[in-house]
Amino acid sequence: MKLPLKWLKEYVPFNTTPKDFAERMLLRGFEVADIIPEMGEVDGVYVCEILAIEPHPNADKLRVCTVDAGREAPYQIVTNATNVKVGDQVPVALDGAKLTGNFEIHPTKMRGVDSAGMFCGNEELGITNAEYPGCENGGVMVFLEKHPNGQRIQEALDLDDCIFEIELTPNRPDCQSIIGICREAAAALGEKFIEPVPKIVEGSGDCRRIASVTVENPYLCPRYTARVVTDLVIEPSPVWMQRKLKQVGMRPINNIVDITNLVLVEYGHPMHAFDLACVKDSHIVVRNAKENESVFTLDGKERIMSSDMLLIADPEKGVGVAGVMGGLNSEITENTKATLFESAVFRPENIRSTARKLHHVTDSAARFIKGVEPVNAKLALDRAIELVEELHAGKVMGGMIDVCAADLGTKRVSASVAHVNEILNTDLPADEMVRLLGSINIHAEAKDGRLDVTVPHFRTDIEDGIETDWDIAEEIGRLYGYGNIAPTLMRGDTFRGRIGLPFKDEDVIKDTMAALGCLELYNYNFISPKELDDLMLGENDERRLAVKLLNPFGEDQSLMRTELAGGLMRAAALNLNRKTGFGRFFEVGNVHFNRGDLPEERKLLGVIHFGQDEDFFTLKGTLEALFDKIGVTNVRFEKGGSNHLHPTRKAEIFADGEKLGEIGAVHPKTLRAFGISQDAYISELDFAAIRRHMIRVRKYKPLPKHPAVQRDLALIVDDKTEAQEVIDVIAAAKAHVKVENIRVFDVYRPKLPGDKGIPEGKKSMAFTFTLRADDHTLTDDEIGQAVNAILKSLKFRLNAELRA
Amino acid sequence: MFEELLKIREAALTELEAIKNADELNELSTQVLGRGGKLTAILRTMGKLSQEERAALGQKANAVKQELIEKFEERKAALSELAERLRIEREEIDVTLPGTRRAVPMGALNPLTLVYREIRDALIGLGFTTFEGPEIEYDEYNFTLLNLPPNHPARDMQDTFYVNDKVLLRTHTSPCEARALKTLDLPFRLVIPGRCFRVDEPDASHSPVFMQMEGLVVDRNVSIADLKGTIDSFVKAVFGENVESRLRPSYFPFTEPSAEVDISCTICGGNGCSSCKGTGWMEIMGCGITNPHEIENCGKSPDEWRAFAWGVGVDRVACLKYGISDIRLIYEGDGRFLSQFK
Repeated sequence: MKLPLKWLKEYVPFNTTPKDFAERMLLRGFEVADIIPEMGEVDGVYVCEILAIEPHPNADKLRVCTVDAGREAPYQIVTNATNVKVGDQVPVALDGAKLTGNFEIHPTKMRGVDSAGMFCGNEELGITNAEYPGCENGGVMVFLEKHPNGQRIQEALDLDDCIFEIELTPNRPDCQSIIGICREAAAALGEKFIEPVPKIVEGSGDCRRIASVTVENPYLCPRYTARVVTDLVIEPSPVWMQRKLKQVGMRPINNIVDITNLVLVEYGHPMHAFDLACVKDSHIVVRNAKENESVFTLDGKERIMSSDMLLIADPEKGVGVAGVMGGLNSEITENTKATLFESAVFRPENIRSTARKLHHVTDSAARFIKGVEPVNAKLALDRAIELVEELHAGKVMGGMIDVCAADLGTKRVSASVAHVNEILNTDLPADEMVRLLGSINIHAEAKDGRLDVTVPHFRTDIEDGIETDWDIAEEIGRLYGYGNIAPTLMRGDTFRGRIGLPFKDEDVIKDTMAALGCLELYNYNFISPKELDDLMLGENDERRLAVKLLNPFGEDQSLMRTELAGGLMRAAALNLNRKTGFGRFFEVGNVHFNRGDLPEERKLLGVIHFGQDEDFFTLKGTLEALFDKIGVTNVRFEKGGSNHLHPTRKAEIFADGEKLGEIGAVHPKTLRAFGISQDAYISELDFAAIRRHMIRVRKYKPLPKHPAVQRDLALIVDDKTEAQEVIDVIAAAKAHVKVENIRVFDVYRPKLPGDKGIPEGKKSMAFTFTLRADDHTLTDDEIGQAVNAILKSLKFRLNAELRA
Repeated sequence: MFEELLKIREAALTELEAIKNADELNELSTQVLGRGGKLTAILRTMGKLSQEERAALGQKANAVKQELIEKFEERKAALSELAERLRIEREEIDVTLPGTRRAVPMGALNPLTLVYREIRDALIGLGFTTFEGPEIEYDEYNFTLLNLPPNHPARDMQDTFYVNDKVLLRTHTSPCEARALKTLDLPFRLVIPGRCFRVDEPDASHSPVFMQMEGLVVDRNVSIADLKGTIDSFVKAVFGENVESRLRPSYFPFTEPSAEVDISCTICGGNGCSSCKGTGWMEIMGCGITNPHEIENCGKSPDEWRAFAWGVGVDRVACLKYGISDIRLIYEGDGRFLSQFK
């Protein structure tokens, strides 16, 4: 919303600085986003008088002028202008001046002669004949009347205004108008606002004899008012009107269109003017469009309507899309003789859906969407007719067409003074509340602890119902000033605050991952369908069940991710390409599967390692450290996993038989698809599954009373035998003592068959473990028997031999 | 001459079948298709033929050449596929061997996590409890129950990603308010973190995915003053004791009265600088007294219960707190950025 300062001053005395005004408005809920000088960036330009003109010694086309710019000494200005003579007053840009386009002026030498600045034409000043008649002369602008030398150009041209760019909240459509915003501005400035009332022009005859309006759908069009003007004189609107329109960023067109635009700005109510000769039988019908009914709008585009859209028609054809744009067939042209001014109210939801479906949210539609009201519709019409008369733009006909289904009665609401004070934690007397509401022209009376409020027609946001006390509290709070309410902390019962277990668990897991050298990623949830192919997911893989967005940024961001792997790999590619030197990352994030009413949401932990020091086992080490920290025990890694993992370097991870997730080197094909130039290792774990196996409170286990003995075994086993198999056999052997801490500590694969006495197809693996009994120190016999039992079992189960 | 061409083709295809590796393939390719290759030699002799003969043969010769090139390419792909398969087999590891631990530099948590925890922990001290809800939500919870019925113009304040006409990506954490009001016993004080989504093209200050934290207090007698006090206490916890906060009137459909929260500029300390556009204040979030319609929509009585709520952008707070100039850095994943928040 643009509010020019001068326009504001027409309604409200203004005795403060623009900055102070902006601050006052801000604290009442109206943010002044910008204060724009009327002449934009133009600065440092002054009126000067040409005292003398000499030829330039080195250039035929240049002249050297001596000017009086109101300073002690005259300035010398070199110019190529031919339209100036001694005694003329012209605008001069001096050192540091800024012209349109942020063009800066500094003293310079022109063909060897000093020039202190530059004379300006209308283009450099960003003005047209509308601001200063005759300024568009193709050369330097010359003042027609006398000004003091040295006067700022803004003052000389009376373009010293500033324009407040005010941001409005959607609950205050009434402020989308000069009158509405001035009403609030007056209160902010502590001034009384006098509501302007348009003069009613009686006119002659009765327009209802020649024109008529039928509203077929009064729900979508609660009020339609219209008046007729004949004997039109279509011409440019007067300069004052053009200037006002330009100040708020509108382009003057002709007197009739400009009148509707000015009323739009002043009253916030969109109007339309039809060429009455183009409306058959001068009969307007407001009805739902027929399916696929076509209308050409003012912008020359064909609009295909549907039956839920509201059409302004005559008995034969559409003449406009209600609330959005008028029809081309009934446009005001220079030949228009009579016009019908429409000022109507349309249902916001319907205009919103129509404008969206037609992909055409016009300025007018935007106002209807924000909400207009029926009383203001008539005020706007009255004002338009008043302007027609003032501009002598035509002959006003008497009578007003008014098809009204809306309730025009005054709304009265009642609010509890005590409740309002409770909401605000204030102790304001009822009289003070009455005074505050009065400052924005809301009349209220205090009675028996209640405020009886007469809601002005423009405040459609104040509700009669359960919201009333809150509505009134909002007004009182805003007018009283939130800054005057002292902060408190909640009274009453105290609460036991706590971090929920899932959040606590997440903290521990994230902290551990960071301690293990990983950087935390937050990847976007949007992925490309191609990503699922790059991961080589099978057709029946549940990760193919991605939720698809109806309105994504593009196909490549159209799905909600079902895995974290893609994001981790994209981060890997980015860090490798940028040679950041970092190679450990993790993310905790949700993935979604398209099943059920709401998609199934699952939280995952994803980890990636890459770089020359990383391999499958460093990633495994990271996971083992995490499991160790959070107490996930009995973890087993078993061959297997998704297609995007290296077929012989991947494993599924289980704890107590429940699958937690998987780990593996990334498949070379997937690496290529993601543009990763070296090996990468990735793991995805189900967060809920990990949490099910966490130990949050550890129970003390008594320390062993009797010493344990350590034994190592070097074994020759089949090349395909996994360390885990050996460990399982050792653990299960009937040793009759406790066998604990079984670990593999060496693996040797012969480089050549028979190398170091290891037969072909075999390898050597060395294990260590401890033997112990709870109630006594083991004897050598017991130890010997235990080891023998283990070896026997290894031989029987795995054909493992003790290495010689 | 055509027979000769066919012979070369036959011979090349037979040899191709027998080829075992890329080197052999390259050699054969040079022999047949290379500059000095057999096929090239034949084609070169065509210059001696009459124009008609040349045209007829040329066409056939090119067809043969094209076919051979394709076959060579196919073979090459098959060979590299085979080589990769063999390599994969050779690379087999025993996945049950123990993992190794390397001494590595400390990793780091994302600034979002750090800020989320700071806000959360400050609120836990005021008696708040954590709560959460789904990222993909019903339109009903995201909008309708919060006093934003379908086609309400204020829906345009938040551009929404839709899954279908009833389901969307939540645009704020506020749907969790409706879930909490419907399911929990009153009174309560909740802090609700989570990812949210809006159709905002990413730029220095917008991200289509962002993290919000909702605060919701429901009790019998809470007020704007309590809201002010609560917000001020966590603002001070996150930004420091000397940072001031203020409320100024605004509008949200789910609160009434509504307010924006400004904090004194973290760059200039409130004197006015380019970051705060000279005002000394920076906007960080919206808040207000919960609209009674929302409380009623969720099956509770607004006569009995009053609530206040806010939604703070964790990203925005992180940017202000750490002086991050571009929100995209948070989501981009560059280790040089992430490693700074140890």
